[in-house]
Amino acid sequence: MESEILNGLLAILHWDVLLFLLAGVLLGAVFGALPGLTATMGVAVLTPLTFWVSAEKGMAMLLGIYCGAIPAGGIPAILLNIPGTPASIAATWDGYPMSQQGKAGQALGINALFSLTGQLVSILFLALAAFPIASFGLRFGPAEYFGLALFGISLMAGVSGGNVVKGMLAGMLGLLLSTVGLDPMTAYPRYTFGSSDFLDGIAFVPVMIGLFGLGEVLGQMADKHGHKVKAPPALGRTWPKLGEWRRMALPGLLGSGVGTFVGAIPAAGGDIASVIAWEQARRLSGRKEEFTKGSPEGLSAACGACNSAVGGAMTTMLTLGIPGDAPSAVLIGALLIHGIQPGPLLFRDHGELVYSIIFLMALAALAIAVVGLLGARPLARALRVPDPWLWAGVTVMGVVGSYALNNSVVDVWVMFAAGLFGLICRKISMPLGPLVLGLILGPMMEANLRRALILSRGDWAEVLLRPIVLFFLIATLASLLWPVWKRFSGSSSRS
Amino acid sequence: MNRTDLAAGAIFLLLGAYVLISSFGFPAGMGPLPGPGFFPAVIGAAILVFALALAAAGLRGAGAAEFRLENRPALAVTVALLAGCLLLWDVVPFAARNLVFVVLFLRFLGQGWRTSLIAGAVMTGAVLLAFQYGLRIDLG
Repeated sequence: MESEILNGLLAILHWDVLLFLLAGVLLGAVFGALPGLTATMGVAVLTPLTFWVSAEKGMAMLLGIYCGAIPAGGIPAILLNIPGTPASIAATWDGYPMSQQGKAGQALGINALFSLTGQLVSILFLALAAFPIASFGLRFGPAEYFGLALFGISLMAGVSGGNVVKGMLAGMLGLLLSTVGLDPMTAYPRYTFGSSDFLDGIAFVPVMIGLFGLGEVLGQMADKHGHKVKAPPALGRTWPKLGEWRRMALPGLLGSGVGTFVGAIPAAGGDIASVIAWEQARRLSGRKEEFTKGSPEGLSAACGACNSAVGGAMTTMLTLGIPGDAPSAVLIGALLIHGIQPGPLLFRDHGELVYSIIFLMALAALAIAVVGLLGARPLARALRVPDPWLWAGVTVMGVVGSYALNNSVVDVWVMFAAGLFGLICRKISMPLGPLVLGLILGPMMEANLRRALILSRGDWAEVLLRPIVLFFLIATLASLLWPVWKRFSGSSSRS
Repeated sequence: MNRTDLAAGAIFLLLGAYVLISSFGFPAGMGPLPGPGFFPAVIGAAILVFALALAAAGLRGAGAAEFRLENRPALAVTVALLAGCLLLWDVVPFAARNLVFVVLFLRFLGQGWRTSLIAGAVMTGAVLLAFQYGLRIDLG
């Protein structure tokens, strides 16, 4: 194990890998800080830039973007009351009032420092918990993987903004798209409509770029004229005083713990984590009345939580191959392109790679904290970039990136179609998360179910009544029925 | 009545029916083992069930707000420009295609000619530098 840790560290201690990490962090900071650009979009749109470099460099850049975008999302939340990423929603509640009280610099400092705390706490959890979880995952056979995939999809639907039906429809659509191409068992072509371009299936990356890049751009264009950019306030000092540290330490750590746990639950990302952590910090605080009026405790809890969700989500993704949130879902596709298959086998066969990922995340967390403390002023100025420029940039990168995947115009058409579909989904309040999960988990679900049935000679009972499968089936039912029960219990208590 | 959910439900009903019916055209599995049509059939059936639920919710009037698109001319121009770019992919070189797209896109969204031209040239140059010369990908 010690040699794996050492090899993992040595693999990334090259100037070019660190340069890619830094480039990723800076790009992530830009994607997170600019309202309208998100961490998911950043990972999706910039993935093609990593195709031609080694796995370490590609991974360094993508992890840099992911770890850099979430803390940077707090910058517009504090300065403009606009969350840069969905995860920084709770940072607006106390960050913006602080900014209006002339404490913008202090709020940005809290954001940078407790983002670092949150990420480091969750990375520590990843380092300690991932190997035991993965070794448990090694007991899984095809039937258990089928159960796990089914459970993952049901969870996504259950937390899709309370709309189970639309969430499930989106998930089914993702599953349907995953069936396009040659059947995994018999190589019979399905839904290719006679085109050889689709025999390998629908490329994942162009779909992601379309849904989260072009779709987001079109969605913002369709919301009248996007956000109105206003001048950020003066910043002032950024480093908190000792007394303020004492007040913020506990809520910040509480937020980090809550965020790590919530982030590890598939589909429950930083947005949910930060809201829960903020509420818990408010309940435990002796100064409840200050919350929503510029409480540093509330801000530290929110920042700690949304950033610790990163490590939590990565734990689930790396150990079980199930994404914890939307950016990690896109990250799975990107890692697959680099020949890295998340799941228990990654830990058994490439333990040093897992440690490389852990070290890269820790370095990215440190880098973005420095960027957040020293680069707050230029990033605040960058918030004035007009929306049309951002839209043009994302669209051009989306087109070129989709083409670059296979030098195929068909992939660009797929991206275009996915973008239009993403626009429609946004307008009819259909969540995109389940679609992505369906697309990722579809092949895992189908191939493992059919393998399990072959092993059991077609005996469904033998497949479904295995203890772990049964557990996942019950958990699937519970996650599907939970929102329905909540709705009915809510309406009966109202009546 | 929520027409958006009703229409979405109807479209998904058609899709579900198509998937279910087309799955019967795939070869059957061997003995008790499912064939290539099994998974699409399950998905098609599930889409039908959830589409019915969505349509029913639409009839009851529950659900999200009605489908509305603001800024339609800008959206239509963007979609048309992108589609044009893709159709002309093998005919017009990348530099010209991208420059025209960015300039017209920015112009239509209210940016001045000079700003649009500078932004178009910078974006096209940066992409060419990164992809064509840096990563050696022929963008056409």
